[in-house]
Order: sequence, then structure tokens, then C-alpha cells
Amino acid sequence: MPSYSMTEEERAVATSQMTGGKHVDFRGGGFAPKPHRWVGLVVFIALVGIAEWGTQSGWISPLTLPKPSDVLQTLKQLYSSGLLFEHLIPSLTRLVVGSALGVSVGISVGVLIGLFSYIRSGLVPLVAALFPIPKIALLPLFVIWFGIDEGSKYALIAFGTFTPTVVATYGSVDNVDRTLIRMGQSFGLSWFSIVRKIVIPGAMPGILSGLRISLAIAIILLVAAEMLGAEYGIGAYILEAGSLYDLERLFAGVMILSVLGVLLSALIGFFERRLLDWRA
Amino acid sequence: MRIINRLKFISLVGLVLASAAFTTSAMAENTKIKVGALRFTSHSASFIAVERGYFEEAGLDVELKFFQAAQPMAVAIASGDVDYAVTAVSGGLVSLANKGAIKIIGGALSEEAGIDGQKILVSDAAFQSGVKSAKDLDGKSFGITQSGSSFHYMASKIAAAEGVSLKFKPLQKVGAIIGALKSGQIDAWSIVPHIAKPLAGSGSVHIVGNVADYLPNYQVTTVFTSTKNASEKRKQTESFLAAFSKGVDDYAAAMIDKTGGDAGVDEMVDLIHKYVYTDRPREKAAPSIINGTMRINKGAALNIASIEDQLNWFKAEDLVGSESSIDTLVDQSYVEILK
Amino acid sequence: MDIRLEGISHSYGDFEVIRDITLDIPDNKIVCIVGPSGCGKSTLLRFIGGLERPTFGKVLQFGEPPPGCLNPLTYIFQDFALLPWRSVSGNVSLVLEDHGIRGAAAREIIDDVLQRTKLHDFAQALPRQLSGGMKQRVAIARALAVKPAIMLMDEPLSALDSQTRELLMDDLIDLWSRQPFTAVYVTHNLAEAVRLGHSIVVLSRRPGCIAEHIEIDKPLIERHFGDPDLEQYQKHLWQSMREEARAADAELLND
Repeated sequence: MPSYSMTEEERAVATSQMTGGKHVDFRGGGFAPKPHRWVGLVVFIALVGIAEWGTQSGWISPLTLPKPSDVLQTLKQLYSSGLLFEHLIPSLTRLVVGSALGVSVGISVGVLIGLFSYIRSGLVPLVAALFPIPKIALLPLFVIWFGIDEGSKYALIAFGTFTPTVVATYGSVDNVDRTLIRMGQSFGLSWFSIVRKIVIPGAMPGILSGLRISLAIAIILLVAAEMLGAEYGIGAYILEAGSLYDLERLFAGVMILSVLGVLLSALIGFFERRLLDWRA
Repeated sequence: MRIINRLKFISLVGLVLASAAFTTSAMAENTKIKVGALRFTSHSASFIAVERGYFEEAGLDVELKFFQAAQPMAVAIASGDVDYAVTAVSGGLVSLANKGAIKIIGGALSEEAGIDGQKILVSDAAFQSGVKSAKDLDGKSFGITQSGSSFHYMASKIAAAEGVSLKFKPLQKVGAIIGALKSGQIDAWSIVPHIAKPLAGSGSVHIVGNVADYLPNYQVTTVFTSTKNASEKRKQTESFLAAFSKGVDDYAAAMIDKTGGDAGVDEMVDLIHKYVYTDRPREKAAPSIINGTMRINKGAALNIASIEDQLNWFKAEDLVGSESSIDTLVDQSYVEILK
Repeated sequence: MDIRLEGISHSYGDFEVIRDITLDIPDNKIVCIVGPSGCGKSTLLRFIGGLERPTFGKVLQFGEPPPGCLNPLTYIFQDFALLPWRSVSGNVSLVLEDHGIRGAAAREIIDDVLQRTKLHDFAQALPRQLSGGMKQRVAIARALAVKPAIMLMDEPLSALDSQTRELLMDDLIDLWSRQPFTAVYVTHNLAEAVRLGHSIVVLSRRPGCIAEHIEIDKPLIERHFGDPDLEQYQKHLWQSMREEARAADAELLND
């Protein structure tokens, strides 16, 4: 309706004629998931509620599932007796030392693979061969190599975080925009400057998402690492609870690991927001 | 060619039908039960009762279920996948009893003065540095499978008796402990003689004492079943214990009292070798089987004092709930109770 | 500093892209290279900048770059090539850091080039916040910061819409008028060539060789949008290119 040539009256007529029209069907909805934070919480509370009701009423036998309230009680006791930190501190130390080793070596090797063809040809098959090895299977070997104390535990976690970090890193180095590197060269930037200022920041999104996977693996391996020769540690606590068939402690330990996982994920999210705020 | 094939086929069908008919009739007669076992000589009584038909005589159609460790066996009893089993008293067992899932109904392996029992081992490194007896173990590391395992109990009791303190190293599996002890990663361990002696023979570890000296009449393993079986299937449980006891008697007669002489020992070794050390030739397996000979309680009698001591220790170590009592753990109505 | 291309030929295997090009790039002039797609004009630019080596012929440099020049041959790319994680001033400072220029000295240069490209208000903005035209101005500012002897501009306005392109052409003319610079400007857009070029080199279709070389004497500052003189030049260039362009188009389709 080219309205600029119409008088007020004509336009009113045109509009009234249009009111008889049919709406065009809307068909653009869906396929755009949005986060609803509270839904997750509701699901969680509902599940715990069902478990509590079921165990209280005897509908779920104490062999199947512990009472959530008892698990909470166990957690409280663990905290008030000071045992929580006696278990948590060695575990966190193992997690931090092991994954710091694995991740830093992994990023370095990944960058080298991304940059040098000989290193790539030499190491990519090796990494591919190491990746599928269940690291837990190597634990006895690590005990011989690195000792039954902290050494083998650090080594297991380091090894477990190393391979996914390498793969994520060289993949993201490969994806760094080549025109940016070309630009760096055209301005006569040194090789080291190009790596430090262009390649690594450009690969950072991929490295950080790889880190999410690596750190989740580190938590899984923490339990495995504490299978051999650990008196204290969350993993040792869980294994002990399992062998004692003490479901309250088992669930309490598992909850601590879950919380640890959520916290680590949040930590990476924090770094992503800080380091990658340049992304849209 | 074709005719022969057809004949073969018909006879095969006949055989299958006949055997099917046979098994159905057998099943009608016998109660089908599952017995859990480890491939250890200490489980010989069950093997003998199967091989010599004692279970069948008692009206039980027994299927042996083999496990890699005692812990899953206890869980299998609780879940009802296995009916009867023999295993060491552990924290897990007590916890399951507390939850009303299982009951100890008899005794099996015991430490007895005069019969070779469990040994205290130290690594060569520890031995060279002066650990010549359990007294010298202060501050040393001691291998255990898991907290609340029988190894943990034994070591604690030895340490308490000698007034020393030990560092416990949970290593999950017996194999891992052996590896750690041989390579000197841990200092000490205790284990049944048929494992201890060959290890000591290799020179990489040394025997420095006997567990029996610290824990006389130690009830190492017990016979246990689900609470449901113990309370509701009295006849079946009694039949099982009776047949099991016959196996025990045969074992003790042949291996400890040697009533059958060397021939009797040989015969028994042959029988046990069908189940234990099957990966080794008989001549290599025989010494281990003979070395592993320990007292299995006659009539599956239970040394209740030892069980009480173990229970109290679990409680004191906060490995099991303080509400645990000997009555939730043991059904004393089945076997002779040794005080 | 002058650059001379002498008998440049290039082939990728049996595939001949450039044949015998000889060209002088005089000081403080803008030389535009136009030609149908696939004629090797961007390749030629990479030879001048030393990012690639021709099969035959040589690129010669006469005289020394002016004092204070940090990067004599400096590129401006079609897709801007800005580091998305650095702010506007960070992108400029990137090319100074390697020359040990930091702190106050760097700030002085950065302020100057941002002033000249009218970006001084956006020093802390990130590239994702900028329009295409602003991004290219950042790239130009970055190039100016290293005081190049020769700017090598590879279709710098091709990724922009036509209004922005007009604005940026005005800006470039403005920049040159206040402080003349030498540039080789590769484009497929004839309007850009006649607005910005002191001389225009037309390459034939592959293998590219110089089909025509014209000089436009009209001062840059007097050239405007819709200028009839420039239209004349543009028409002339199009006439001579038309058949080549059509042939190049057909050739690509047949490939």
C-alpha cells in the first residue's frame, strides 16, 4: 500500500479492508534453546525429594539407596570432625599438581605440534596411540616408576590430562586465522612474538574448552590414583566407603566430587569470561 | 555320506531330548542354589562337597559362582545372586549385616596353634634395615587391600600387641600388595602361608612372625548367607551346612590328620587342583595347595569370641556404625558356638 | 625509496599466472593495479612485500627507506587482519612492541595515527564493536604507525559496502594530501582506481601481463565522487578491459 499518495480517508478505507485479512502463520519458533537456571534446581530437588520419601517410607530399601538426610548428616559430621579437610587437602594438592603438570606440558607440546611439521609428524601418531590407553591400567607401572606415595598420583593425573590437552591445543592452533599470522609476518614481528601474541591468544578458546574436559578427567583419575596407597583423600574415602558398603559415606564422597567438578567448571567459565571477553 | 549324517543328526536329537528330560527330573528333586567361592585352597570344603556329591545327597543342586575378591561376593549375597559363601569378616560384611541383608551362620578358616597359619612378611629393604620381627615395625608401612579388610584388622592387632604404630597403605588387590612388597614400596604385610612361603623363598621378602602368635583362635573366614535364607529357608540352610561340613571333614582328614597317608593327600590335591591353580601343571600346583593347608572348623563351628573381637575393633576404628551388634551379624542357631 | 619490478614471471607448476612484468613504483605516488580476477595482481603484491618469490625476475629496491621507518613494506589487507582480543590501540601497539617502542613513545605514535584516522575516541574499543569501515581505518592506522616507505594495499575496500567505501576513499585522499606516501593499490574496482591512482596499471587475464599503463595528472585532492574526467578514464579502462574480463570469467567457468 503506497500510503504517501493517499489521503487520510483513503488510508482508513484501505486499513478497514485489510482487517478482514488472515494472519500469516508463524512458523519460526523452536530450535533456540534458552537457559532456564531454576529448572535444573527443581529437577535436582525433586529427585532428592523422591529419594528421601522413598527411603523414609521403606519403598526404597536401605541397600539400594541411602537417605539423603543421612548423607547430609554424614557430610556435616565430616566437616565438624575436621576430617573433610584432612581428605580434601591431599586430594586438591594431587589435583592441582597433577593437572598443572599435565596441562602445562600438554599446551606446550600442543603448540609445538601446531607449529612444526617434524614435531607434528613425530608426535601426532604417538599422542593418538597414548590417548585411548586407560590411564588407570598404568597405575601399577607408575607406582614402580614414581613411587607409591605422591609421585605416582601426580603422574597418573598429569598423564591423564596431558593427552586431551595436547589434542585440544594443536587442533585450536591449527584453527588460528592464518591471515593474522600473515599479518604478523608482514609487520616483521619475530617468531616468538607471533606465537605469544597471535597464535596462543588465538588458540585460547579451544585450549580452554579442552581444559574443561581435561579437568573433568583429572577428577575421575583422582579416585583411581587414590586406589593405591592413599590413606587420605576424597577418592580413598569413597573407595573405603565402597569396601565397607557404607552408602552414606559413599554418596557423601561422590557429592564432594560433584561439587568439585561444578566448581572447576565455574572456574574455567570465569577464566573464559575474563580471557575471552573479546568474543561476541 | 548323507545317510551317516542323517543318522548322526537323529542320534544327536535323541541325546539332547534325553539329557533335557534328565535335567528336568533332577531339578524337580533338588533345590537349585548358588554357592560363591574364590579359587583359594581355603574354599576347598565347597569344592569337595561338590565333587563328592555331598550337596546332591543333601538334595541341593549347587552351582559354584567364582569371584575375584571377597567384597563383590558379599554384595552378591546381599543382592540375592548367590545363596551361600565363605569369606573373611570385613567392614563391608558387617555393614551389610547392619542393613539386614546378610548373616554369618558358621565358621570356616581358623588360626590354630600347631598348624601353619598366616605369616607376617617384610620387604627385603626393611629386613636389611633391621626389621627382624614385628617389634621392629614402628613407623613402617603395612599393605592392606582396603580399610576394614582382614589385613587391616590383623595389622592393627599386631601393632597394638607390640605397641608400635603402622602406616596402612590400601592397595585394593593382593597382586598389587605383592608387587609393592617385592619392590620395597611398602615394608610389611601378612598373608596365608601358601602365598607367604614361595615369596620368602624368592628372597625378596622375609617371614618375621606368625599371625597366630598375636591372634590365637582367629576366625579368619566365615560361612554366610542372606538374612532371608537364614530365617526363612532353615531346612535348605541346614542341608547346606551339613554337606559343607562333610567337605570340611574330608579336607581335615586328608590334609591335616593325614588319615589316608600320602595317597590321601594326593587324591585331595587332585580334587582341589580342579579349582585352584588351574593355570599351573599339577606338580607345580601341589606344593602350593599343600602349603595352603589350614584348619577349617569341624562342623563349621564358629569361634564367637574372635568374631566379637573383630566387631569391636571395627566399631573402635569407626569403620562400622556403633549400632552393630553380634546378634545382627551372626545367627548362632545353626552351628556349634566355640567360646 | 623506489621499487622496480624487473621481468617478473611466475607459474605454479605448468600453470602460468604472470608473464614478464616490468614496473616502476615512484616515491610518494599511488600506483593502482587493476585487472580481471585471476590475473595475478594479489600475487604481484606479495612479491613486492617479500611474502612470496617469483619464478623469474626480481624486485629491486632503490635508495634507503626514510629515517624512522620501522617496516618499509607494509600491508593493508582486505579482511583487516585485526587481533580480535586487542583493543584499537592494542592492535596498533602490537607492531611497535617488537621494535622496542613502549610506554610514552608508543603512546605518542598511537595517539598520532589514531588522530589521523579519526579513531582517537575509540582507542579502547574492541574490533567486534567496530563497523567494517572503522576496522579498516584501524588497519590503516596500524600501517601508518610503522612509518612505511611503501604501503601495499590488497583490495582494502572490497569487504566494505559502497557508502563506507566512498568515505574511506575520502579519508585516504585526505591522508595522502596532508602527508604524501607511496602505495601500490590492488583492486578490481575501476572507480577506486581512478579516484586514488596517480598511475593505473591494467593487467590482462591470465597469464597476467601489463595491457595498459595510464597516468592521471589531476591532483588527488581535486578528484570527487561523480567527477566527469574520472568517468572518462573509467570508461576508457572498462572498454579496454571488458573483453578480457569476459574471457577471464568464461575461462574460470571452463576450468
